[in-house]
Amino acid sequence: MKPVEQYWFGNVALARPYLLLRLVLVLLAFDTWLNMMPEGAKYGVGAFNVAHFPWFDGFVPSSGFYLGVMAFTGVLALSQALYRPHRIAIVLIALGYTLGWSCSLLDSVPYHYLLSLYLLCFVFFPMLSARSAFSRSERVPQGSVAAYVLFCVTTAIVYFYVAAWSAARGESYWLPMTCCVGYLLVSMQDRVQLPAVRILAPMLVAAPLTFHLATPQPGWLPLYMAGIALIVFAPMQWVHSFGRALTQPARGLLDEGEADETGLDERASQVFYLSLFGLVVAPMLSMFVDLPGVKTGCSLTAIAMLVVMGRQLYFTPRWRPLWRVASLFGGCLALLVTMSASNARFDYYREGALDADRRGDQDAATMFQQKAERYAP
Amino acid sequence: MVSSETEPPPAGPSGKARRRSTAFIAAFVLLQFLIPLTYLAREDAADERFTWRSLSEAAAPSCETSASLERDDGTREAILVEKLIHRDWMTYLAQRRRAVIDALLQKQCEADGVLSVELVNRCADERDVHEFTLRCGGERAHETVRTAAR
Repeated sequence: MKPVEQYWFGNVALARPYLLLRLVLVLLAFDTWLNMMPEGAKYGVGAFNVAHFPWFDGFVPSSGFYLGVMAFTGVLALSQALYRPHRIAIVLIALGYTLGWSCSLLDSVPYHYLLSLYLLCFVFFPMLSARSAFSRSERVPQGSVAAYVLFCVTTAIVYFYVAAWSAARGESYWLPMTCCVGYLLVSMQDRVQLPAVRILAPMLVAAPLTFHLATPQPGWLPLYMAGIALIVFAPMQWVHSFGRALTQPARGLLDEGEADETGLDERASQVFYLSLFGLVVAPMLSMFVDLPGVKTGCSLTAIAMLVVMGRQLYFTPRWRPLWRVASLFGGCLALLVTMSASNARFDYYREGALDADRRGDQDAATMFQQKAERYAP
Repeated sequence: MVSSETEPPPAGPSGKARRRSTAFIAAFVLLQFLIPLTYLAREDAADERFTWRSLSEAAAPSCETSASLERDDGTREAILVEKLIHRDWMTYLAQRRRAVIDALLQKQCEADGVLSVELVNRCADERDVHEFTLRCGGERAHETVRTAAR
């Protein structure tokens, strides 16, 4: 291979893409529910909207539409993080999330755009199971994952521009530039034999951690970037050991469940009907969330899961459909618990009431106010 | 018990797959380099989207925005913008985001008998007053900058 090809297609520890994908999906799920859904009341007000891209011209997203898209994206993201992700599901998450912010300038948070770029990279990640990413011994499974390197380069480009614009304004730029260089180099650390590189590369994690944790930044950006930096920069053995410990229960469960399963038997049809039943029942949890559009969003997630399972629902190792349905249940339940235990729902209705009151829309203000009182902390 | 220590790692890309991946990677990286540079050619300096100029949203300036429309019969009417749209859009108007100003003025032109619409932006930290006028039927508002006497 040429040196450039070696850079992109060289081996990396599979624990990194495995953990990275799941970390971002989990954070994204709770980020959409806790930070984006409370902002939903602004959508559709006065039937006025300006989108990020001209192809949305004339489309005014309602708050129900926005909340539905966010619920769909969040539940699907969490369900994919809980059980082996599927590429179609990652495509749908990327589309849902991008639709969520791009349909209106009301969401102009820069890191939402970055997350869309990340999700696009994830589409090309290998959909690894815990058993393929982690071994039982100290041997760290490795493989060629160009999309992981692309993920690191994408992050490096962001830091490069942060540094370049800072320099253009005459501000300090060395910290983001160090982050940029770090991300460009660190994707090679698993295959470089030089001890100096293996020792020095992890130390570069200090740059992104300092950059994101020392200065105030919007939303959960510091959380995303600190988590990503720890997975990308940490020494290979550390990441592998951490991931192995984290996935130990899941791997044990799968080993026991699938050990003696090689094909279909008479129980396959029972599993099939049980899976379908689960797909119908799981979105019903969203009825208790009491936010517009959420029921539709969760129902669409169940349909997406059906598409994802496809042939798998009827063929091949029979427990897999049940695990997928269980992950959907987990996603819907987590949405319900998150909304019940946080102020997200109250914030949504309170913001709606305040804005309706300011605009003199008394009917809407009263409706929002009553709901806000019901969910007041 | 499962006999294999791990499932086999994903197979490395073949020559053809590698060429396709390289082309995709090159296009993706190139786009990421070019998109932030479009800021330099943007008419609207307040539009910092997709540029990584800042990782935070732009701060809202302290501005007073007023709007009015002129009817076919020559009469002028004030528009209570804050009653029409969400307050977050008011922030964009204060930042003089052209896309939002144009869309708002276009929307006011949709009413019957409206000849032109005007939006005036006065900011506390600037001497300049920005006026945007759209003659209904036109595509973009015309901007006039006046320096207010102190």
